[in-house]
Amino acid sequence: MSITTTGNLGPLILQSLAPAMLYVPTPTMNYITVCDKISMPPNGGTTCRFMRPRALQPPTVQLGNSGIDPPAQVPQRDIIDAQMAFFGTGCIINEQVILQDQEGVLAWVSERLAVAMRQAEDLILRDYIVSAASEINAGGGSNGDNPTNLGITDFSLVVTTLDTNNAYKFMTGIEGMDRFGTGPIRSAYFMLSSTELQTDFDSLTSSGSLAFLSQWNYPTNASALPAEYGSVGNIRILTSSEAPVARGASSLGQDVYYNTVLGKQAVTHINQDGYSMNLIYRDPYYSGMLAQNATLAVKFAQAQAITQDTAIRNLLSTRLSNLGV
Amino acid sequence: MTEYSRIAKGTFTSTGGAQIVNLPFIPDYVEIKNQTAWTTPANHGVPFGWFDATTSGTTFIQVFNATPVLTTDTVTTNGISTFSAGQLLQYGALYQHTGSTDFSINKASPAQVTTTTAHGLTSGDVVIFQDLYQTTTTGMPQIAGIPFTVTVTGTTTFTIPWNTSQTNYTAFNTATSTNNAGSFKKVLYPYLYFPGVSFISAITTGTTTTIDTTDAHNLVVGQEVAFRIPSEWGTTQLNSLPNSIIPGSPIYGYVIAVTDYNTVVVNINSTSYTAFNSNQTVSSVIGLSYPQMVAVGDVNTGGVQISSGSALYPSPQYMPIGTTKFSTINGPAILGSYVNNTAQGFVVGAGTGVTDTSAVLVGAAGNIIEWRAFLHDMSIP
Repeated sequence: MSITTTGNLGPLILQSLAPAMLYVPTPTMNYITVCDKISMPPNGGTTCRFMRPRALQPPTVQLGNSGIDPPAQVPQRDIIDAQMAFFGTGCIINEQVILQDQEGVLAWVSERLAVAMRQAEDLILRDYIVSAASEINAGGGSNGDNPTNLGITDFSLVVTTLDTNNAYKFMTGIEGMDRFGTGPIRSAYFMLSSTELQTDFDSLTSSGSLAFLSQWNYPTNASALPAEYGSVGNIRILTSSEAPVARGASSLGQDVYYNTVLGKQAVTHINQDGYSMNLIYRDPYYSGMLAQNATLAVKFAQAQAITQDTAIRNLLSTRLSNLGV
Repeated sequence: MTEYSRIAKGTFTSTGGAQIVNLPFIPDYVEIKNQTAWTTPANHGVPFGWFDATTSGTTFIQVFNATPVLTTDTVTTNGISTFSAGQLLQYGALYQHTGSTDFSINKASPAQVTTTTAHGLTSGDVVIFQDLYQTTTTGMPQIAGIPFTVTVTGTTTFTIPWNTSQTNYTAFNTATSTNNAGSFKKVLYPYLYFPGVSFISAITTGTTTTIDTTDAHNLVVGQEVAFRIPSEWGTTQLNSLPNSIIPGSPIYGYVIAVTDYNTVVVNINSTSYTAFNSNQTVSSVIGLSYPQMVAVGDVNTGGVQISSGSALYPSPQYMPIGTTKFSTINGPAILGSYVNNTAQGFVVGAGTGVTDTSAVLVGAAGNIIEWRAFLHDMSIP
């Protein structure tokens, strides 16, 4: 009996492309989310200038009956400057690739360039905050390092600092609801943390009225952000795998995590007259004598400033739990 | 050669230390010519050097022997290398106890670090230390984790701006510490954004207040600054809050003089303030926060002034060591602005020949170095 198999009658074409592209693992971009955003006007020079008036002294001494006015106060203001910088990247794609590839190369390369640009925007903000915001070392943990792992009192300490500085919270509270396993959420600042700390958050030991509450245990998670992992007291925690980590930089040589706790207007992102996104495609026609190569590129302009230094702290910590791999 | 290649050339005067060359691309091939060594042949002179990205970090050199006649050699450590300084929190290799390496820190002001092999650092580099417990209760863990600018005093010695001669510090040595603990590493790109936050190593109170920092502050005259001094460090009156006169209103100071890379004078009268105390105990280290000065604004209206050889409208400048300033690669900005100092290019290191260990790639101080850098379209294979 002769059976015809693929061994002697194989397919003419061995492969076909799956109907959808696979996803590209991409970190959540939390830093741009919590920034104020402004645009420099056209023809506005290289530097964006912010002005913040200073408070005047409250007149707490009575006028008395002398009929004489008290001395006048001199209003003051603080000036903050930030210089614009330009960024960009691109790809040179030979026309034979465009002509012969079965997938829409220009389409997915455009998408990757756009994501790279947005990621750059977030990384720049991240690193700027690391270099410009003041730091508090966690001391409430138990691992004996400096900084320690996060303890529940560290959250309380940094909130106390920002509240004492009259920082504005981002989020209003969420009232409790009659749903099992949920609890009310306080009005809150945001804390931008690393996904590597999630096991530490889960294992935080409660103290008094302070405890970690997973986002899933909010009375309603309608206001929760996609990157929100949970909350502790007046802090709602956003996590990302691109949060800053100083590897092996603690007193005992462990990884140090920059948990950025901030209120409204603490950091401002500045673009140049709507120049925050330019996707540039140049047809091969422009590339040379034989018009062989197309180019795809993105460029953007960005500056950033700490605009309320009293409303931001980097809460540095190490980690309690070992990481999986 | 097509329109996509990149070629650049230039010259610099060697300081004897590593030289950074910023470019708008990362080269795959660099060649240097030491004009001084070329015109005055002498033993150990290195007139030529070549770097190719495909040769795993080796720089090929020609060197004059004692005759002097040209011969060949290679530089395998601290030769020519490329860099992309785009993200913070990157570090160099650990220097720690091994079979052949150890380091110690003495009790002095400034503290001196002595290594058993060449540390490979250049003045202005920034390092951080870890695990400086000589025993569980002694050593210098108080300074672990703080970024320090190094001043190189020899191939195996450098100083850091901190007073370790105080009573709560004991001399540290990885050769004798418990479990041979202790390490340091170079912070690769410490000033990608400035001005920013600096750790304070000393405060001199008076009618004006002098602040010493552990690494470069990169502040300018007219900079507005705030202080964050935890209570155990003493001079908490400098803190921007609380304000007993106008509750909630931060108190700031202004920089009125920049002495050098790590010293500024601020217009705050601190005559009656508590003395600064950096004599922290070993037992206090867990959870210890450090005193900081942070830039919060400025009162300036103009940019960097023109100087001999500068552009008409100079870029912002940073000062990693001494009083020597380096320009960023961007355009002009108001003095004291928050600026971006990311950059890329190549470094001509101060490494020496494998055979002739007195032949220094970057030459001696004062040597004129020509360079050419390329990024090729085509590389076969």
